[in-house]
Amino acid sequence: MVHLSFSKDPRFFQIFFQVFFLTYGILFLEWEADWQHYGVTILSCLVFNYLALAIRKRKWPSLTGKTGFSCWGLSVLISALSLCLLLKTNYWPISLLAAALTVISKYTLRINGKHLFNPSAFGIISTVLLTKQAWISPGQWGTGTVLFFAIISLGFIVVTRVQKLDVSLGFLICFAGLLYFRQVIYLDWPLDFYLHSISTGSLLLFSFFMISDPRTSPDHPLARIIWAVMVAGLSFYLSAFAWKNNTPVWVLVAAAPLVPVMDRIFKAKKFIWAPEDPKTILQ
Amino acid sequence: MKRKMKKAAAIILMGAMFCNEASAFCGFYVAKADGTLKNKTSQVILVRDGNKTVITMSNDYKGNARDFALVVPVPVVLKKSDIKVVDAGIFQRLNDYSKPRLVEYYDQNPCSGPMLDEVVTTGIAGKVAGVRIRGNSSAKADNKVKVEARYTVGEYDIVILSTEESGALKKWLDANGYKIPKGANEVLEPYIKSNLKFFVVKVNLEEQDRLGVEQLRPIQISFESPKFMLPIRLGMANADGDQDMIVYAFSRNGRIESLNYRTVSVPTSKNIPLFIKENFGNFYANLFQHQWEREGKGIVFLEYAWDVSPSNYVKCDPCVSNPPNENDLREAGVWWISKNKYNDYVDEYDPNRSSVYFTRLHVRYNRNAFPQDLVFQATPNKENFQSRYIVTHPATGSLDCPEGKKYLSSLKERRQQEMDMLGYLTGKGYDNWDLAMENPGEDLLPAEFSYPALAVSHTPDQNNTRTGIIFGSLTLAGFLLLGIKRKR
Repeated sequence: MVHLSFSKDPRFFQIFFQVFFLTYGILFLEWEADWQHYGVTILSCLVFNYLALAIRKRKWPSLTGKTGFSCWGLSVLISALSLCLLLKTNYWPISLLAAALTVISKYTLRINGKHLFNPSAFGIISTVLLTKQAWISPGQWGTGTVLFFAIISLGFIVVTRVQKLDVSLGFLICFAGLLYFRQVIYLDWPLDFYLHSISTGSLLLFSFFMISDPRTSPDHPLARIIWAVMVAGLSFYLSAFAWKNNTPVWVLVAAAPLVPVMDRIFKAKKFIWAPEDPKTILQ
Repeated sequence: MKRKMKKAAAIILMGAMFCNEASAFCGFYVAKADGTLKNKTSQVILVRDGNKTVITMSNDYKGNARDFALVVPVPVVLKKSDIKVVDAGIFQRLNDYSKPRLVEYYDQNPCSGPMLDEVVTTGIAGKVAGVRIRGNSSAKADNKVKVEARYTVGEYDIVILSTEESGALKKWLDANGYKIPKGANEVLEPYIKSNLKFFVVKVNLEEQDRLGVEQLRPIQISFESPKFMLPIRLGMANADGDQDMIVYAFSRNGRIESLNYRTVSVPTSKNIPLFIKENFGNFYANLFQHQWEREGKGIVFLEYAWDVSPSNYVKCDPCVSNPPNENDLREAGVWWISKNKYNDYVDEYDPNRSSVYFTRLHVRYNRNAFPQDLVFQATPNKENFQSRYIVTHPATGSLDCPEGKKYLSSLKERRQQEMDMLGYLTGKGYDNWDLAMENPGEDLLPAEFSYPALAVSHTPDQNNTRTGIIFGSLTLAGFLLLGIKRKR
């Protein structure tokens, strides 16, 4: 018996989009496809996750059925694909390390049963910091308008499936607004300068695929908006005034400990990816 | 017709050259005889580690020294010790070392022994042209423009300006004989508001005489700032004139890449027809233009990346010219290459002192495709890269044995592939190239294996935009399927 039909679990969509982006990058954006990195990352994420689960449950998790792969494998696959999309490295042991850190953050850094950090963001940032042999290439997406619209529409679909569009839009509107104020109104740059800033694939992917992760953003709708606006504000400040790169990802990780605090202040029901009764998603 | 000779001075930035009447063409052309290479390319050396940046701007200015002027926005007021003039030879050496290269292979006659290859290399012929700027030296300062510092370094007089009003700056520059190109107007205000200073350079004729320098030398500036960028916007004279810039970048740990534009490696290690050997400069010029258009223009091309640390013994493979030595690195501004305390050598085993990574980036920019200045980041990416193209000479001698027959049919196939590749890389059909060539051995081959004969008998592959369409429709189909399933 299939317990989770393909369409009921939004994670299938997310995986589909991530594979789409990876393919797009390799085929059309001329990325130097690093198959070793992709292979090691995906495989080791799955294996580490399986082992971590086995340790926690003190028995080998099943691979099929209700508690099988579709129960424990999808989230980690999403994290693995995020690593493939965002993290770059020349050495496979570093891919392995990133995968390990991602899974460790998933299983150990938890508060009230909720991830403290977005696992892949944590994996990326800690690998970059620890090894100095990995990096993020925000320029890799270019600023093609086609991609711009594709990501927006795809992103919309993904997040509406899990009702977390508020975080994405909160972040994007706030960040783009601040940037508009700074670049166009204050500094007098022409409009295309501004459009170039906000139409980067990196920013849109972050908005729709990273900060929107329902397991690592606050549960209460109002708290989510406040959270998104805060991340946007801080990212903007650091990039505009301190000339830091990739600020949204760094801020997301640095500000993650605030989420449990906000959850304490704003009480709400915890998010579950695919409960037995799918209707609870919509509550 | 003489226009009013009012201090016609152009302002430029980062050694960017304008397309003016004298230099007629801004693009590349396929020419059957000798190809016209890009006529306005500027060169910059960029050294970065931590928050420190060293920028060296080439100066190929050929006109009257009196008319030379250069304006560069800089993030801080530079001290006199932060400004140097360096020997122009460094640009030529770096260009020779890192330029795209052609590799030749020779097929061995299968009827007379094992296949053996021999490698020879040649680099692209084009010498890179440089700066053209003009200025004039009668000055009356506007009081809203503050002269932060005034130095004489080598043959140059340098003024560093700050202001709070773009109007005042424009007036100051105008009064001092600089003419701002039209397209640059829109960036002055943002630069001023971003608190940038203006580094203004003219030639001090007396100093030039005294020093006996005929050709103006490159200027090197260094400063501490988190901003790691090249302000190309000021040099964009008009909306559609394309300008080229080659950036020779040095960092401690790995490649330099652009943060706000896509960095793309030029296609490399491709087998191309033998007749390109005589045409390599022209071939690369066309390849660059075609690939640039194909990638959507707003990109930065990577042409070379290599570990040039003194401790690394293989600094190129194959080498077109001598790799930069320690003196070259120091000249280029790599300050952390310092001598050992005890003797004159760099301590190769001290990675902090001797690790240097070189990246060559090639940018073709214009106002439309590049709304922002170039911002960079240093990555730890140490994967070496070179733009390298391969021609293969056919075997010579009698090919009458059975292996010889086999060889000939594989030669035919290979040459067809080479010609397809040529079309893919440059976007030009066979009729744009001079297919006949003088090559020993070529006349010994049966006529049907010659390029001109193959060009007639072989229809080239169309560029595969089809892949895009297939990919796109598959995606759409995927969406629809998912959407329909979900609705049920």
